[in-house]
Amino acid sequence: MTNEPVIIKGTKEGITIILDENSSFEDMEKAIYEKLQRSRNFFSGGKVSIKIKNGFLSKDEYNKLQNIFTDFGMSLQEASSPKTLIFPKPNRNRVLLLKKTVRSGQKITYKGTIVILGDANPGSEIVATGDILVMGTLRGMAHAGVQGDTTAIVAAFRLKPTQLRIAEVISRPPEEKEDIPSFPEIARLKDNVIVIEPL
Amino acid sequence: MGEVIVITSGKGGVGKTTTTANLGTGLALYKQKKVVMLDADIGLRNLDVVMGLENRIVYDLVDVANGMCRLKQALIKDKRFENLYLMPAAQTKDKTAITPTQMKKLCEELKRDYDYILIDCPAGIEQGFKNAIAGADRALIVTTPEVSAVRDADRIVGLLEAAGFEEPKLIINRLRPDMVKRGDMMDIDDMIDVLAIELLGVIPEDEKIVISTNRGEPAVVDESSKAGQAYRNMIRRLEGEEVPLMKIENIEPNFMDKLRVFFGLKARAK
Repeated sequence: MTNEPVIIKGTKEGITIILDENSSFEDMEKAIYEKLQRSRNFFSGGKVSIKIKNGFLSKDEYNKLQNIFTDFGMSLQEASSPKTLIFPKPNRNRVLLLKKTVRSGQKITYKGTIVILGDANPGSEIVATGDILVMGTLRGMAHAGVQGDTTAIVAAFRLKPTQLRIAEVISRPPEEKEDIPSFPEIARLKDNVIVIEPL
Repeated sequence: MGEVIVITSGKGGVGKTTTTANLGTGLALYKQKKVVMLDADIGLRNLDVVMGLENRIVYDLVDVANGMCRLKQALIKDKRFENLYLMPAAQTKDKTAITPTQMKKLCEELKRDYDYILIDCPAGIEQGFKNAIAGADRALIVTTPEVSAVRDADRIVGLLEAAGFEEPKLIINRLRPDMVKRGDMMDIDDMIDVLAIELLGVIPEDEKIVISTNRGEPAVVDESSKAGQAYRNMIRRLEGEEVPLMKIENIEPNFMDKLRVFFGLKARAK
């Protein structure tokens, strides 16, 4: 594969823009803009669809791209084939396995699922586009589905987070000290509220 | 070839300097080791005061690092104990007066002639911390049974790991067994649980530490001091001996308390 952030292909339906998931969104955005700028007249009035091999775009990013296309007089089509990923589930096949204690001041960010064989201590931040599993005690902040995936979950052998975030929803444990359950638990979104259940 | 050990904590006021003074004195006195205690807290030096050697300082760490004097000129020989030396920090400079590279070089030099080089690390995680750990082979982390101190210790363990230190050891300072028993203070297990590192020793709260610190005489030489006993045990562990944790009036919650905690009848110590 080439390392170019953006490849433009002509098809029967119009043009397809293939994005490299390893590039940052800013790079992609810039590359698209430059490529379109170079042959402004050629693309004007065309229809565009977007493909990303393994990654995905957030709603925000999608809107930004749409604005660029509108500027060039093009129309962005919704996902037409199953392989065209616009707002797909984050790829759960990508897993980051960490065999260590994540300590205060350490931040783990990953596009996919994070599995920690150890504890995540207070003051640590675990941020994943997919699920977060802690095979120890989760005491820090965990943010699952950071790019908007509301089906993402946070599960831990002992769930005692300082704060939990799933997609856009933020919650914290109740102020009054409750008995800490001595069994594994799972947190997920139900009707836009984070609920915690035994695993 | 000697060993360089940094004594650090993240949070201030947990007992780094006291621990450095006591371990250094103990290693020299009881184990006949040649020991240098190096004060890396430039601008806020204390180790010289705790050791009662303040009035003997002519040259300091920064002078040595910048080639203003020879290494031996800055080392102060202790007035009471053979084999014990102090490398004082500069008081009129700040942490930027030396670099990690200079520290490394200094430690290498000291290692050739001394058995132990104990570095008293400043609080914080900035330049002073980076200087202090630059030349060290091992790290000891001091914490008190407070949530904030344990949090900072955790941060330090993370930074040490990132800097390539393997298995730093933990020293729990100022533990009050009576408070632990009442459930008003974190117990040893709570702390080990979070920090997940090996324990080197537990020092009970002891009034004698305040007295000895003010007098400039380390408590480790006081046979009647509980804290002194704890330091003596730690010295033996540093030297590779197996010494069980001393019973400080039931440091551990007793069996019934544990049962009550288990059944949720008693709040766990926070």
